[in-house]
Amino acid sequence: MADHESELLAPTPGARVSTFLKRKDVSQTLLLWVFFTAVFVVLGLWAYPKWMPVVLSKQMQANEDIMIWFTVISAPIAGVVLSIAAKSFLNMHRGDTPPEDGVAIRTNGPVVIVWTATSVLFCIVAIVWGLVALNTESIAAATDAPKSLIVDVTGSQWVWSFYYPQQNIHTHTLNLPVNQPVTFNVMSADVNHSFWPVQLGVKIDANRLVTTVAHADPTATGPLDVKCAELCGLYHAYMETSGAVESPTDFNNWVSSIQATGGVQQ
Amino acid sequence: MTTLSHAPASSRPIPNPKKSLITKLNMGTGIVVGVIFCWGTYFAMKAGRDMTDSHNVNKVLLMSMFAWSIGFLIGIGAFIGPFRWLIGKDLTDEEQLYLAVDGQGWKRYFKYCTDHKVVGIQYLVGVMALLGVGGTMAMMIRTNLATPGSHFVTPVVYNSLVGLHGITMIVAMIIVATGPFGNYIMPIMIGAADMAFPRLNALSWWVLFTAVPVLCSAWFLGGIPTGWTAYAPLSDQAGPGMNAFVATIIIFAVSTAVAGMNITTTVVAMRAKGMKWNRVPIFVIGATISVALAIPAFPTFMVAMIQTGLDRTIATGFYDANVGGSGWLYANLFWIMGHPEVYVILIPGVAALMEIAPVFVRKPLFSYNAAIAGFAGIAGLSVLVWAHHMYMAGWMPSLNGPFMVTTEFISVPTGLLFLVLIGTLWRGRPWMKLPMLCVYAFIWNFLIGGITGIYLSDVPADNYLHGSMYVTAHFHYTLMGAALTGAIGGLAYWFPKMTGRMLNERGGYISFWFIQIGFNVLFLGMFIVGAEGQPRRVADYAHLYSHANLISTMGAYSVGIGMIILLWAIVHSWRSGKIAPMNPWGAKTLEWTVPYPVPLVNFDQPPVVTSDPYGYGRSAK
Repeated sequence: MADHESELLAPTPGARVSTFLKRKDVSQTLLLWVFFTAVFVVLGLWAYPKWMPVVLSKQMQANEDIMIWFTVISAPIAGVVLSIAAKSFLNMHRGDTPPEDGVAIRTNGPVVIVWTATSVLFCIVAIVWGLVALNTESIAAATDAPKSLIVDVTGSQWVWSFYYPQQNIHTHTLNLPVNQPVTFNVMSADVNHSFWPVQLGVKIDANRLVTTVAHADPTATGPLDVKCAELCGLYHAYMETSGAVESPTDFNNWVSSIQATGGVQQ
Repeated sequence: MTTLSHAPASSRPIPNPKKSLITKLNMGTGIVVGVIFCWGTYFAMKAGRDMTDSHNVNKVLLMSMFAWSIGFLIGIGAFIGPFRWLIGKDLTDEEQLYLAVDGQGWKRYFKYCTDHKVVGIQYLVGVMALLGVGGTMAMMIRTNLATPGSHFVTPVVYNSLVGLHGITMIVAMIIVATGPFGNYIMPIMIGAADMAFPRLNALSWWVLFTAVPVLCSAWFLGGIPTGWTAYAPLSDQAGPGMNAFVATIIIFAVSTAVAGMNITTTVVAMRAKGMKWNRVPIFVIGATISVALAIPAFPTFMVAMIQTGLDRTIATGFYDANVGGSGWLYANLFWIMGHPEVYVILIPGVAALMEIAPVFVRKPLFSYNAAIAGFAGIAGLSVLVWAHHMYMAGWMPSLNGPFMVTTEFISVPTGLLFLVLIGTLWRGRPWMKLPMLCVYAFIWNFLIGGITGIYLSDVPADNYLHGSMYVTAHFHYTLMGAALTGAIGGLAYWFPKMTGRMLNERGGYISFWFIQIGFNVLFLGMFIVGAEGQPRRVADYAHLYSHANLISTMGAYSVGIGMIILLWAIVHSWRSGKIAPMNPWGAKTLEWTVPYPVPLVNFDQPPVVTSDPYGYGRSAK
């Protein structure tokens, strides 16, 4: 009889949620959640595009998109962690003796399940996004290969040098025509280096006696910085050069000027 | 509730086996014998060799360094026991008690002492020294990077600073929690009288000790140009200082193997009666998983370094492409150790904070099983993710996808660690002492480190970020912001039990805010320059990055000031701090049931455990 009565009086799940949300500590935590989530969203949408260099290729655009949208997607989860931590922090007890015991919550099955499921979901989104981007890049590299500009890149302590086999020119700057795919065949003359044309958003190590390949699709014109991203000894910091993604006309003029001086850039 | 039958410590007679050689040996005799072995080997091997040949130089130096280590261990008496075994004997009971007993005052800290509490203090002081040295190098690095075009140090010195800062801090961080707390506190936490193998315990510390002068010698041998990753073929090309790095890693790997087996065996075999696996304190679980992960991980680093040594001494060419070797072999071996190592460092720090949070919030640890699943999941996945450090190496592009999948999945067990902590904080009223402050700092720092790790594990994003300052900022958020913060929290929490005194509160708070604010200024600035495109490990940079670098350097100085204040607080409190009560925090784990100084065998009566140590809290209304 008693069981039957308590069953009748037990609140419905909806009522329990409603009661839960009306609790002062919960509403304060929700406010904090909105705040922290907003901070991370702003960080993603405003800060990363501001910090990252000018986008000169499809690859760089893909990188920037990941930075922006992963930050935005992770914002609500980060908001949960930080809002609960902040609410707890604001409820602090000071003094030389411990506070009274809190509520003895050993665990909460649904919370653990929902949290884990959310983590898995977020994880799957990140994985699928990454795999799609990776696959898109691989397909582009394969299909663009016949029409690609080829650049053989050699890293040596502590300079980058480039050979354009189709144009038969040797250069120390990296100039590329816009809207034409480019394939970099990269090798080292000594220790490991890492070829990093920054605004193109691609990177590949230069290894001794092994050719590694990177692919880029320049989509906009602008200056290019080429750096080394692998510690390579004494003057690693200074192993950099410049270049540009430029219009086909400018690129052809640049090639012609080098061919006119024997195929070696002065 | 944990119950303990406890009687006052019995006073034991101080053994005095006067005729035993053991009483004559100490750190001083170890150094003397070690130096004799080192120089003896050096001159003996040098004689008749062409020392203009770098291979010969490397042979002589490497063997001299190993001779120092072996000589020191002989000189301090580490091999007396094993030698006796060879002739069918062992140390006498009196000798064994002499090695363990705490009747020798401060001198026992300089002997081959087998008491786990002495070893714990030795590790603590050693860790602080290493952090001090590594931190000083960090200050020099940041000073050089304060402005573009700085010539505070030369590029040679800068590269050595980068490498030696890296390896010093890695060594320090690997032992920062499991060394002091794993040795001093953990056996008491599980109700054991000592570690399973007390002599191996002493051995692990003194072997580690011998690696320190070897590492320091790199400065006098021209430094190391490779960073702590010591990639080949740069390491083959490097000068004599590289031998010091090689020898250090090999010696250190021996120490971690010995310590790892000892801690694991102790926890498996020596828990108090009634301490079932679901009653083991979470710090013990974390520390055990951490060292169990280290046991298979570090031998690969040792193998990588042995092969580097062989390349440098007898030109084997493991990593030399000119003779068919490959730098990718090294990179694989290194990172098979390198990524588990991150979690070897991280897990004990998190576990310490999970031990702290319930005590100060006065609530049970939320979802003990989720915490274990988190640690175990991270440890299991961490051995399957190493090649995410090699996405851009060109080694095996077809494996980038699979390694991305395994790496991203680490965020799931990592998420459980956050859940446990925020679940414990939920509806709690935390007692805001320094250990608890570290819990909050950890949550913020590890959140930043964790989220940025998700970008880096994604191959397309890593295309841009790999090798940039962004990576440097990311791993400092996990290793320093999370793991070191956890260790500082652990130190503040267990300081009363380890020293008998309370850590100076004002000094602790001031240092905390200097360190944490400075840390975030330092590495948030580094995230910015990384996103802007500044490579890591560069001695100089373009003007574009100057503002954020200057801000980072100011943050670094704030961390430095905070660390000095913390050091002052530790030293001052240790010498003349407020005497600590037996259980100042009102905690329920076993270490708080024994007095200070802790008796030799910890408990006069073996404790009996009847529940887990998280029985805080009142019923929900």
